[in-house]
Amino acid sequence: MTLKGGATSACAACKYQRRKCIPECLLAPYFPADQTKVFQNAHKLFGVSNIVKILRSLDPSQHAEAMRSIKYQANVRDRFPVYGCLGVIRQLYYQIQMLEEEMHTVLTQLEMYRQHHHHQQQQQQHQHQHQISSMADDVISQLELGMAPSNNALPLFNQVTHQPYTMQNTYSSSDIDSPPKDNVENNSLWIQHLFFDTNNHGTSNNDSPIAIQSQLLVPNSEPLADTQHQVVQDYDEIHPFFDSIDDRQSYIDTKDAEDSSSSEESLKETTQLMVGNVGSKDLKSAAACFSLTSVN
Amino acid sequence: MASSSHSSNFPCAACKFLRRKCMPDCVFAPYFPPEEPQKFINVHKIFGASNVSKLINEVAPHQREDAVNSLAYEAEARLKDPVYGCVGAISILQRQVLRLQRELDAIHADLIRYATATCNCNEMPPPMGRTCFHHNSSGNIYYPNPQWNEPYEGNGRSDGGSL
Repeated sequence: MTLKGGATSACAACKYQRRKCIPECLLAPYFPADQTKVFQNAHKLFGVSNIVKILRSLDPSQHAEAMRSIKYQANVRDRFPVYGCLGVIRQLYYQIQMLEEEMHTVLTQLEMYRQHHHHQQQQQQHQHQHQISSMADDVISQLELGMAPSNNALPLFNQVTHQPYTMQNTYSSSDIDSPPKDNVENNSLWIQHLFFDTNNHGTSNNDSPIAIQSQLLVPNSEPLADTQHQVVQDYDEIHPFFDSIDDRQSYIDTKDAEDSSSSEESLKETTQLMVGNVGSKDLKSAAACFSLTSVN
Repeated sequence: MASSSHSSNFPCAACKFLRRKCMPDCVFAPYFPPEEPQKFINVHKIFGASNVSKLINEVAPHQREDAVNSLAYEAEARLKDPVYGCVGAISILQRQVLRLQRELDAIHADLIRYATATCNCNEMPPPMGRTCFHHNSSGNIYYPNPQWNEPYEGNGRSDGGSL
């Protein structure tokens, strides 16, 4: 109801009730004159008297929040006459259920990727070990034939002994909080650590903390040790063979070359010496056999 | 299930509370059985009997029981929490939805990072797509079912409908 002179317009509540809107009107701050529809919804659901009763039962500091919720509830009831806010709550519960199911599915998928990654790394590890053993076989076969092993093979023997330590250091420098352990099942790649930092899990509603774990790929040094052992065994088997040939000079020279340096030049010199020594002896004996006069 | 058997000897909870004769065509009788007096007391205290009667008559007969039950729920919530009523539960649930969505986004990011960094994408299936929950610019939640879209924000300045 508009006052005379039109200085102050009545609130929507007083306008609807066709009464004078006094300055102490409880509903005036919350139902301005231009929000007639909002007031109608609130009046339809609660009624003016009930709204005033609710406000009077509350502290003045709570009036704003209470009116906000009352208007929201009334608007929802206007839009959804049958279920009102209960329907909204049910829909939110449904959303939460869907999100939790999706989260479960994604976590399962993450677990699949983790296992696939673990399997891949194991395969790569086996391939690498196979490569080492095959190269070791090549070196041994070359030694049997009296040939100088290739350059890149010799450092391999050094790599074999140091490989486990390198791999351990690699994993320790990655995003892992827990140190690598001997038991493979207890090793874990803590992705949980990453997104627990970004999402504060402090609410009591979160009953199932999301722990994403994957097994740490501990370098299994046993295959490498087997390879080393196998290489040593092969090396021991070569000894009797060389002894039967009695080419000790060549073997010793070759071993010296291995111990001192891996340069091709030193090996070549050794080879030339071997050939030179053998040749001169044979020639002399041959000459002694076939010539009537002594060579000397 | 609305009580189908109604007798004038046994007034419904509404008529009993209002101390009036319960007529055969009493609008409250099917939904406020005498065994549940508190249900009508709560509804009457918050909404008023006349408002409830009007609301019941506005909906289809097969939906009236659901409408009354939802009113009873809202009335009980308002009595327990006079400031927020059932809207407090809505706010909590919306926050939970937001939190779950953020967590899901983080997990998706980790999954994509993990999959692209370590695995061959041709060998593994692509990461699963997200359930589509929309957000408007103000951060209010819209629901997948358009029927349950958040109510309008009032006619004017103040938001009469949004949280």
